[in-house]
Amino acid sequence: MKVFLIGAGQVGFAIVEALHHDHEVTVLDTETSRLAALAERYDVATFEGDGTSRRDLANAGVRDANLVIACTSRDEVNLVAGMFARREAKNATSVIRTSNVEYVELWRAGQLDVDFVVSSELETAHAISRIIGVPAARQTDVFAEGQVQIVEFDVQEGASHDVVGVPLRDATFPHDSKVAAIIRGDEMLLPGGDDIIRTGDRIVIIGSPQSAQAWSALLAPDEGTVRDVVIYGAGRVGGAIARVLLEQGISVRLIEVSHERARQVAEALPSTRVYHATGVDPDFLERERIGRAHAAIFAMRDDAKNLYAASLAKVHGVKFTIGVAHDAVSVEAFEHAGIDVSVNPRGVTAEEIIRFAHDPRTKQVALLEGNRYEVIDVTLRDTSEYIGKKFKEMPVRGALIGAVVRDGSALFPHADDVLEAGDRVIVFTEATDAPRVVSAL
Amino acid sequence: MTIGEAVARRVRPKRRSAVDLKASSNLLGLLMKYLGLVVLFPIAVALWYGDPVWPFLATGGITSGLGLALERATAGAAPRVGVREGFLVVSATLLLTGAFASLPYLFVGGDQLSYPIDAYLEGMSAATTTGASVVTDFDELSRSLAMWRQFTQWLGGMGIIILAVAVLPRLRVGGRQMMESELPGPEVAQLPERIRQTARLLWGLYVGLTIVLVLALASLGWLGVDEEMTEYEAVAHAFTTVPTGGFSTRVNSIEAFSPAAQWIIALFMLLAGANFVLLYRGIVRRRPRVFARDEEFKLYLAIVVVASIVLTIQLWGYGIATGEEAIRAGVFQAISIITTTGYATTDFALWPVLSLMTLFALMFVGGSAGSTTGSIKVVRHLLVGKILRRELDQTVSPEVVMPIRLNRTPVDERTLRAIAAFILLYVGFWVVGASVIAIDSAIGDVPLGALDTLAVSATALGNGGPGFGITGPMASFAPLGDVSKVTMILLMWVGRLEIIPVVVLLTRHYWRL
Repeated sequence: MKVFLIGAGQVGFAIVEALHHDHEVTVLDTETSRLAALAERYDVATFEGDGTSRRDLANAGVRDANLVIACTSRDEVNLVAGMFARREAKNATSVIRTSNVEYVELWRAGQLDVDFVVSSELETAHAISRIIGVPAARQTDVFAEGQVQIVEFDVQEGASHDVVGVPLRDATFPHDSKVAAIIRGDEMLLPGGDDIIRTGDRIVIIGSPQSAQAWSALLAPDEGTVRDVVIYGAGRVGGAIARVLLEQGISVRLIEVSHERARQVAEALPSTRVYHATGVDPDFLERERIGRAHAAIFAMRDDAKNLYAASLAKVHGVKFTIGVAHDAVSVEAFEHAGIDVSVNPRGVTAEEIIRFAHDPRTKQVALLEGNRYEVIDVTLRDTSEYIGKKFKEMPVRGALIGAVVRDGSALFPHADDVLEAGDRVIVFTEATDAPRVVSAL
Repeated sequence: MTIGEAVARRVRPKRRSAVDLKASSNLLGLLMKYLGLVVLFPIAVALWYGDPVWPFLATGGITSGLGLALERATAGAAPRVGVREGFLVVSATLLLTGAFASLPYLFVGGDQLSYPIDAYLEGMSAATTTGASVVTDFDELSRSLAMWRQFTQWLGGMGIIILAVAVLPRLRVGGRQMMESELPGPEVAQLPERIRQTARLLWGLYVGLTIVLVLALASLGWLGVDEEMTEYEAVAHAFTTVPTGGFSTRVNSIEAFSPAAQWIIALFMLLAGANFVLLYRGIVRRRPRVFARDEEFKLYLAIVVVASIVLTIQLWGYGIATGEEAIRAGVFQAISIITTTGYATTDFALWPVLSLMTLFALMFVGGSAGSTTGSIKVVRHLLVGKILRRELDQTVSPEVVMPIRLNRTPVDERTLRAIAAFILLYVGFWVVGASVIAIDSAIGDVPLGALDTLAVSATALGNGGPGFGITGPMASFAPLGDVSKVTMILLMWVGRLEIIPVVVLLTRHYWRL
């Protein structure tokens, strides 16, 4: 597939990294230095030019693209680029990134002339709401309209011995779930019945949302459900997170340092308590009992401030902290400092955009462990050799079918179940194997 | 600025006024010119009853003539007025309307009304829809003069400025702020975009309500339910019910009429105490749900219900009245005082202190914003309550940001400050007014009790009407001294415009650039 990318920023980099193996990628950006850095690392064509210039787009060859992605950090550029690309390349799918939820709403209402709109803020908010739904998870992803969840857990001390330390054959799992992978150090293992989950492992579970919560309870019995959340930073990201969490009936308190912004958010969200405060004043933390919140989310603009505020919140007793790391590098620093989960908005945005680059049969893709593993949602071809085969007879080839979506509802297959033509399957695989797995199905 | 410049500035002989007096006078002249025309109605009444026509002709002639002269004298003035001029025009218009209303009393008021201060008190009482009167012997008034009292109160109800905005094309620009000054209540609910439409809607509904009430009352007379309620009385009392004015043609006010008439009047006072924009949406547009959604309306009704019950219990308990009579007296008096109408179905001046205290407290309630009522208004009480609650919450959590909402919409902090300022000024004017009246009464040996003194000031400032004691609903304000009467006139003036538009005229900043 020919992919035309406008914007070589952090999102652009993440997209190129995921797509350059299998697709012909062309990148357009206004800055030569960024293009040079990109060309040095990946085999992609680069053009210097302006995404809002129709001539530059034409010169860079947007006409031949199958997929046009506008992912600069500026909404207006992306909108205009997406619009011109639609004129130049009539049959291409166009995807634009936006940081304004209003554009997402306009797009849903069919008012924007692009195929897909991806908002960093909303993606971040959804990622965080999934994490909050399964508090012990490091990372979660949903498939088949939320019926299937892929969850990555750290196995820590105190996890239930129903699942840890016993061969999987003898372990009692939550219903409707499967261990897709065990990650031990740098090694990933698609587990068989003889394998054992050990403390310190990282495991990937595919299952129903209920089973994901059950796993959470098994692996981290101390973490209850989250009902009371404090969000630091009421900017676009913080506001979007607050809205998504409120919709789920979670009570939200917001801390915002700008008075004007605090007022606006308080006016927009009547059911939240908004503080005009820095959030790092010990008296304030004590007075407002911030330490008693079930979780705190750090969504301020500055990663360093998020890190400091999170550390302080930990000191004051907040058990579960989620940091928004705007810079991909910060993710490691956050984890090192003990922030429970980090979310990189550009990363989740790139992930969302990459989904559109896959085979048209593929509905959704998730990337795990820094893009080493993929979860693919793919519809079975009529001619697939797997049709009619029982699961226990299938060869193990570095991939695992975690769930089947048949007639719109999700099934979690057992050894004697068979695949049928037209099934959608959700497959866990190493990223390098993904194209092979897709074509085999 | 160099020292030389500073000195030059200091010694500059004359500062230019920031207010365009010429444009203000010109607009004022225009308003008076047209105001004089409304005497056509009393002239028709006078002709019908065979009363002399000349007092009304003279009143109209003088008003229109002066207006025309003022307009001519200031010809070439800027056609538009700004915010500063708006305050001046609104304040002056009300004073002049009061003077206009008092002219016939000067001519044919007889012993009761021809004394200028009494005449002006009566005129201002009409123009501000207060309903405080110096008349005791109603038989002495001619039919047409009695109707003039009622009619001028009706004119003052929805306001001359709003009428002018509705009718005169010239006020299409710059009329908004003047209209907001005249329309009771804080500017919390944004008026629809075009003020002219709003003004027409308000006056249209006002006229409509009046017509319905005339028909309702007159039909009592036609059906023989109420012999006293002639067509004349129906019109006269509709004229003072819908503007929540309170003037009556009878010395014993609404007591003169049947219980049915009293209930109907109570209902219309209640309606007139609601926000007219809300009434329009709910009744004319047939969306009754707007009433259930409006916080102010709900609180207004709740206050009326609670006050009615409290008064009824008191009257019944004291044995002043029982059964339907107690309920009727309780409900009627509660609505009459809350909506600052000032009608009475019984001489409440004779009630025990507890009931008087209840009525006194109700004087400070007022109706809704955008109604024809006076006093503080329910929405201000509501918002002050919310401000207080926020203050308490912020004492515990100083960092918490809590926008104050009215009907789910956040209210601007400036509006909230203006409301707090209004209430402080309101209390200030009331106390100062009461003090002046107390001193004047002491000097003039007027037998006014402590509560009565406080009530006179409150009822004038709140545009209520009667007070207690010698100024009760079946008595008059005639026994008060001249200083007290002038104080009342000022309080009525300030109260009708909700203080701030008048008080800004007293600030240095207003007059200087």
